[in-house]
Amino acid sequence: MSPPRSPAPPPLARTALQLREAATAARRRGRPDADANPLRQGLRLERVPDPCAFVLFGATGDLAHRKVLPAIYQLWRTNLLPAEFSLVAVARRPYTDAAFAVEVHASLEKYSRVQPIDEGAWTEFAQRISYQQLDFADDVGFDRLGVKLDELDQERGTAGNRLFYLATQPSQVTEIVRQLGRVGLDHEMRGAGWRRLIVEKPFGRDLESARLLNHEVNKVFRESQVYRIDHYLGKETVRNLLVFRFGNGIFEPVWNRSYVDHVQITVAESIGVEGRGAFYEETGASRDILQNHLLQLMTLVAMEPPSSFQADALRDQKLQVLRAIAAPDLDHIRRDVVRGQYGPGWIQAEPQPGYRQEPEVDPESETETFVAGRFTIDDWRWSGIPFYLRAGKRLPKRATEIAIQFKDVPLRLFRETSGDPAPNVLAMRIQPDEGIMLRFAAKVPGLGLDVRTVNMDFAYDTSFVVDSPDAYETLILDALLGDASLFTRADEVEAAWSVVTPIINAWADMNAPSFPNYAAGSWGPEAADELMERDGRRWRKI
Amino acid sequence: MAQDLTPPRPVAHSVPEIEGQLGKLWARAAVARVEAAKAEAALIEAQAQAAARAAAALDAARATSDAGGHHVAARTSVLNLVVVAGEAAAAERCAVTIAGTAGRHASRSLILSVVGPQGPPGLEARIEGLSLTTPDGRAETGAETIRVAAHGETGQHLASIIVPLLVHDLPVALWWPGDPPFGSHRADRLLPIADRLIVDGSAWSGDGLDLLAQLATAAGARRLVVVDWALLRQARWREALASVYDLPDLRPHLRAVRRIEVEYAAAQPGDPAGQTNVIRPLYHVAWLASRLGMTVVAPLRREEDGRRLATLGQRDHAVEVILRPVVSDLGAGSTVRVEIFSRLRGTELVGKVAAGDRSVEVSICENGAERVRRSYVAPRLTDVDLLGLAIEEGAPDPVADHALAMAGRLLGVDSASRKGADSHKGRSE
Repeated sequence: MSPPRSPAPPPLARTALQLREAATAARRRGRPDADANPLRQGLRLERVPDPCAFVLFGATGDLAHRKVLPAIYQLWRTNLLPAEFSLVAVARRPYTDAAFAVEVHASLEKYSRVQPIDEGAWTEFAQRISYQQLDFADDVGFDRLGVKLDELDQERGTAGNRLFYLATQPSQVTEIVRQLGRVGLDHEMRGAGWRRLIVEKPFGRDLESARLLNHEVNKVFRESQVYRIDHYLGKETVRNLLVFRFGNGIFEPVWNRSYVDHVQITVAESIGVEGRGAFYEETGASRDILQNHLLQLMTLVAMEPPSSFQADALRDQKLQVLRAIAAPDLDHIRRDVVRGQYGPGWIQAEPQPGYRQEPEVDPESETETFVAGRFTIDDWRWSGIPFYLRAGKRLPKRATEIAIQFKDVPLRLFRETSGDPAPNVLAMRIQPDEGIMLRFAAKVPGLGLDVRTVNMDFAYDTSFVVDSPDAYETLILDALLGDASLFTRADEVEAAWSVVTPIINAWADMNAPSFPNYAAGSWGPEAADELMERDGRRWRKI
Repeated sequence: MAQDLTPPRPVAHSVPEIEGQLGKLWARAAVARVEAAKAEAALIEAQAQAAARAAAALDAARATSDAGGHHVAARTSVLNLVVVAGEAAAAERCAVTIAGTAGRHASRSLILSVVGPQGPPGLEARIEGLSLTTPDGRAETGAETIRVAAHGETGQHLASIIVPLLVHDLPVALWWPGDPPFGSHRADRLLPIADRLIVDGSAWSGDGLDLLAQLATAAGARRLVVVDWALLRQARWREALASVYDLPDLRPHLRAVRRIEVEYAAAQPGDPAGQTNVIRPLYHVAWLASRLGMTVVAPLRREEDGRRLATLGQRDHAVEVILRPVVSDLGAGSTVRVEIFSRLRGTELVGKVAAGDRSVEVSICENGAERVRRSYVAPRLTDVDLLGLAIEEGAPDPVADHALAMAGRLLGVDSASRKGADSHKGRSE
């Protein structure tokens, strides 16, 4: 039995200022680790957030009822929230506390991932729900909200800790933030509790608007208080990607331009716009998926190992990748970026309308529902290695996958005895059927020397039958615990827009392709296949 | 979630027979899956409603058929769980607990019991195959439970049964309910097989301290990873105690602890017989002492009034340790209250954590005035919860290791000694 481990060393100072502060602190305290709570060691997985009030703006909306409220309930049900937890639902419609709780219960019956509802847990949870009717432009309403939160501190012991979750229209974010600042709900004072803000994507609609939004938010909240949520980053497999890369020693040596031929990242949806035609008309696949999900997945694949798993260490490395993506010029956009829009077709034996026939969509719409592109990263690890990204709606199936295709063997020894074995592929499935697959060549049993490609498949479902948490549960708990690792920082958002905005702008100046250019139920326009074929490659069949 | 795939009463009487039964079992299950998939495909085709699903189901059926019907569905990971249940009734209880772990089920569970130790030698085994599915019924994985009753002298050679039946290259967790006979021939043969030993110190007979001392010695000597349910049960208590010192201005008090007092439930005032199991209260002290870098100055001793006292050292001052039995409705040996008293630069701080109904209550008093009060939801963990946690624990837990080692030192044992489990002589009680 080893002796008790000495407490972990403090984080290394990165700047002269930090160095001076660390030295001063060490002298003052007599020991460099005095700030750490030694009783916290080993408790990370069981840690329960501080007492707090969770203020949910847009509480009557679709996102709140489908995702946010079920996630909070699930955290409560599994004892991951403190007893001194209070949910303050804020929206424009009039409700009493009890009437809103009834609505929440109905939503849980519909959307909670664990059924039936645990009525014992629900009863306790419902006691912690209150509703505040509020017009976001109403100063008096925000004043009342401030008073209510102070009352909750006294009555429910929420200790001045407040998390503001903006599950609202993007256009309302700035106004709400301004109002929170006006009544001082952003202020963190020593011993008076923390204040955090969760903002849902989209974070702007181009580089300029993103900068403006960040500016407006950061006028009120410090960046360290802001949690920009991209639910993809909370998915188990995305988080497992970090474990896979940095928890295993055998992949890092081949994770570079010397061994990797190319990388494919696919975010395919079989659904259409699902009643959100007006929203999608303003967004399109580039803003909806490419700017955030696809580029975030790309950064996780391509980033250098962070020095620690601290939020900023991780995000610094992701930012480096985004900044190293070769800026797309007009030639690059014409040659390497493809857009598409679905027309009528069939999916799973059901007829599907074209995009222009969807409700709330302009019959002459030129909004893209599919985007594919070839991107490169100008750094030592990836220089010259193409990353092919694609995302689309009404594709044949719902599937998100990252595939790393390795270079072919230098000498094909078995060419005379059988067909060429396919190159090795490491594929990480994000959804559905989350898992990891490694493709390699194996000899077919028998007297000959036939070589066949086989897949070694790790599936979460068949290895860990235990439920995976929903991404929103993961991310909300992280925000309550103050862990921003899986949230997007302002500079990341802007760097991603720096990649996508030139594409959007160029398309605005070009003639759109003849839309629709792919049928619902197909894998996108032919130009997307040609993009790969030009490089002697093809999209994976997934 | 768990479906028994086993046909009625397959019984084996030797290890090769058990292996044969396992092979047949999974072959049958694979064939059954092929037939089910074919039936589903036919139904879907007949209904002509979802051609894609029909094709996928047929593909799955063909793929399984191509494997020759001998595909064994097994989990791609996890572990072997070996249970030394003792007598048959205990084996049944363990089997029920294991079945309840459902999705956390070990790949293979071996439940061993000893029957008629004076009778003729032999063994009787029953094999159960389980199909475990996700809550939505989408994915399936296989697991096995093998119940072995060892008769006569065979019961003295359990290791010889276990080793050939372990799934190759998977870790082995050895669950020893009841009092493990550390130092016995059986323990000496079984412990080396295990990567992880699962025990429940709070269920041991008497005060449990002799066994805890032996466990600490064995863990140190064998570099054995120990998962003690008694310590797992205290997770929320540790969380609550840690929270007292999350306030930055209170944290320096962790270097100025003067007294740690734990009240535990006893059936009678003062626990006159001294037979109440005190493993849980002792673990509280051991965990705190190990986290706070304390040393043992005077090991644990029992006073006439039933209290158990020890003295720890922290920096240049002594820390008084008191385990106090109190009459309580809680089960004997349960922790009722933990109190940490510290004094720093004229400020006296008392952090208290007390058991509530379904929660633990935390309060902090500074110079007699209450400063913070809060509660943590802390539902009691069932055996199924505890076993699930124990078998899912992927790596050694240094915090638990250090707590166990400190518990050993509090009992006068140098757990780093390599003298073996028999060497415990140092208890000062």
